Amino acid sequence: MQEITTFSSVETESLGERLAKQLKGGEVIALFGGMGMGKTAFTRGLSRGLEIYDGVSSPTFALVHEYHGKFTVYHFDMFRVTGWDDLYSTGFFDYLESGGVLVIEWSENIENALPEDAIRIEIQQGGNENERIFHIEGIEV
Amino acid sequence: MRILAIDSSATAASAALVEDGKVLGEFYINTRLTHSQTLMPMIDNVLGCTQSELSSVDLFAVSAGPGSFTGIRIGVASIKGLAMARNKPCVGVSTLEAMAYNLELTEGTICAVMDARCQQVYNAMFHISGGHLERITPDRALSIEDLAKECENYTKPLFLVGDGAKLCYNNQWFKNLKAVLPPEPLLYQRACGVAKEALTVYEQGGAVTPAALMPIYLRLPQAERELKKRLKGEKK
Repeated sequence: MQEITTFSSVETESLGERLAKQLKGGEVIALFGGMGMGKTAFTRGLSRGLEIYDGVSSPTFALVHEYHGKFTVYHFDMFRVTGWDDLYSTGFFDYLESGGVLVIEWSENIENALPEDAIRIEIQQGGNENERIFHIEGIEV
Repeated sequence: MRILAIDSSATAASAALVEDGKVLGEFYINTRLTHSQTLMPMIDNVLGCTQSELSSVDLFAVSAGPGSFTGIRIGVASIKGLAMARNKPCVGVSTLEAMAYNLELTEGTICAVMDARCQQVYNAMFHISGGHLERITPDRALSIEDLAKECENYTKPLFLVGDGAKLCYNNQWFKNLKAVLPPEPLLYQRACGVAKEALTVYEQGGAVTPAALMPIYLRLPQAERELKKRLKGEKK
């Protein structure tokens, strides 16, 4: 378990970019943390680290966005997923087999379906408004 | 009777053209390429290489489930479209029954299993003797452990087949049952197995219109469990 604090959304993006350099393809990155914690900013940085310059935005309505770079990234938002049937019909289990990198916002909602070797990143609010504490498990940044 | 059959229910995909039981041609690939990129070229090639016109096909067949959500939808939608354009009948078969035909030559019990993730499988059991396949259970989803316990009661030898076969074979419960793992070429569902099952269904009057062809989803047994880990004191 690694703990890293960022002090702005720019720093959060940089952290994502650094983590991207460690990826080998096929990883599942489970993000935990509520509204405004920087999950999308982190994913934007991570995508940039994989040479993805398409607009990265939260897939709240589409459930999953697909970006192509060094690896294909499947960016999920599980906010509205409330049951196994919902999850099955997002194609989540098929994406696990795809060899791409999965980044999952609102992993809280599907915790029992996450692979055992998933990289887990929990984001908490720090002491100041723009301060975020990242608890990272499963990879060294 | 000429049947065009496809399977895209899991990682592998295949397309076959079968006439009166004879496999005129079959394409099979087992890569991580998406079915939306490979299935139509395979259908096109199996027709092209056998110098057959699409209009010569009498029946369109597909493995309609269980299987991967996107895979089943791609397969069913493809067959629906082809059959609708020609106004020909369709048959959607059980993926598990189609793969059981791989082991037609064996004697004993066939345990068809597909990986449904989280230690759960899609399964159906068949008795096989003298080339005659007899279904023992309906298609269902259950845990590997429950399946193994049930398998204690069936006639041996017990043959595994499907993309969950290795998963079960490496499980201690199945090791105790001395389950048999077939060689790789016989391990996964194939379009020619889909065609074989489709002919049986057709002869029993089970063909449907393209509009009536539907995917078959099985409810996952883990649906009984919570998907979300709840925090202490949090209300349901």
